[in-house]
Amino acid sequence: MKQRLRYCLYGLCSLLLMANASADWQQPELSYNLTRISKTVEAPDFELMNMDDETVRLRELRGKVVLVNFWATWCPPCIREMPSMERLHQKVDAADFKVLAINQMEDVDQVFAFTGQLAVDPTFDILFDSDSSVSQAYAVRGLPTTFLIDKQGKIRYRAIGGRIFDHEEVVAIINKLIEE
Amino acid sequence: MQYKNHRNRSCSRALMLFSLIMYSLILASLPAVVQANTVSVHEDETTGLLTWTVDDEGFRIELIQLLPDFVRAIYAKHDFPPAEVERAAGYCVFGTILKNTSDGIMSYRVADWRYRTADGEEYPVKTKTQWLDEWKKAGITFSWTLLPDQGDFEVGDWQQGFTTVKLPRETEFDLIYRWQLDGKPYEGVLENLKCAPESIELGE
Repeated sequence: MKQRLRYCLYGLCSLLLMANASADWQQPELSYNLTRISKTVEAPDFELMNMDDETVRLRELRGKVVLVNFWATWCPPCIREMPSMERLHQKVDAADFKVLAINQMEDVDQVFAFTGQLAVDPTFDILFDSDSSVSQAYAVRGLPTTFLIDKQGKIRYRAIGGRIFDHEEVVAIINKLIEE
Repeated sequence: MQYKNHRNRSCSRALMLFSLIMYSLILASLPAVVQANTVSVHEDETTGLLTWTVDDEGFRIELIQLLPDFVRAIYAKHDFPPAEVERAAGYCVFGTILKNTSDGIMSYRVADWRYRTADGEEYPVKTKTQWLDEWKKAGITFSWTLLPDQGDFEVGDWQQGFTTVKLPRETEFDLIYRWQLDGKPYEGVLENLKCAPESIELGE
């Protein structure tokens, strides 16, 4: 127990120091390129719980364009891209578009504490992939990784690393998929 | 006799041509060694921790010294057994960011990377798969934070994670990193990297 407390104190101090250090640390700029998948494949289906303990099933979202984002609270670029994901969610009509942010191996309490610190509380669905089985099904190697799924449930675009999701080029791609 | 000479000359020409083709093929298959001449080193004013950034042909690598306490905090937060937390913190760990800065496809494999110690010996960089195999034996299912073993990055793609080398605190070494750009192999050397200290003392 004492050791655990010691680690927590280490952690708190270290995270404060790193936060300080990262103020000057040159993180790569978030880009807005999405890679078009040349050979489209069916998006692996999943059923995951959201923050409100409701089950979200991908297959029930057929007819909508879905942005599936794999993330975690300890992942700096995931945190950086989250506000733009919220702006995108507000910008595109919910009848045609859905954002699903799939957290990796953390629990509701951890995510709740994290979202409470954000300037804008996310209003899109946050889902919990507690054993990373869904990220494995999508062959995700690192976080964040994002997929854009069309109305027929096919993966059409992919992005590895942080992005500005409300950039006009991304919005144009989503609108084009909605119009198909 | 004349026929024999002619045949010998033809054989020599064919041999020379064959050698040239083979030589060209060998050259083409060797990685282009890129002098890492755009290295920038940043020292954090508060912590003194160092960050190295290198821009090479279509490939940017950034290595950030991480304190052992930071590593302890990350893995303790994910309920690692104390022995495994200490084992990970015992490594020389760098936060690593890789970015495709080209208009093509950049690929890398950590298994191709080496670190070179002061005595000139080269060692493979420990991969995520090797870590996960060890963690699995210790009953750990967590599989994130480490730099993915490999990646095929399209335009704008980038990734980050921990890179680990088994060296004592504050040891200096060179990192030999390799990548491919549209299938063409490249190699770069980042000299005089330094492992983070055990801890830092903040000034007044």
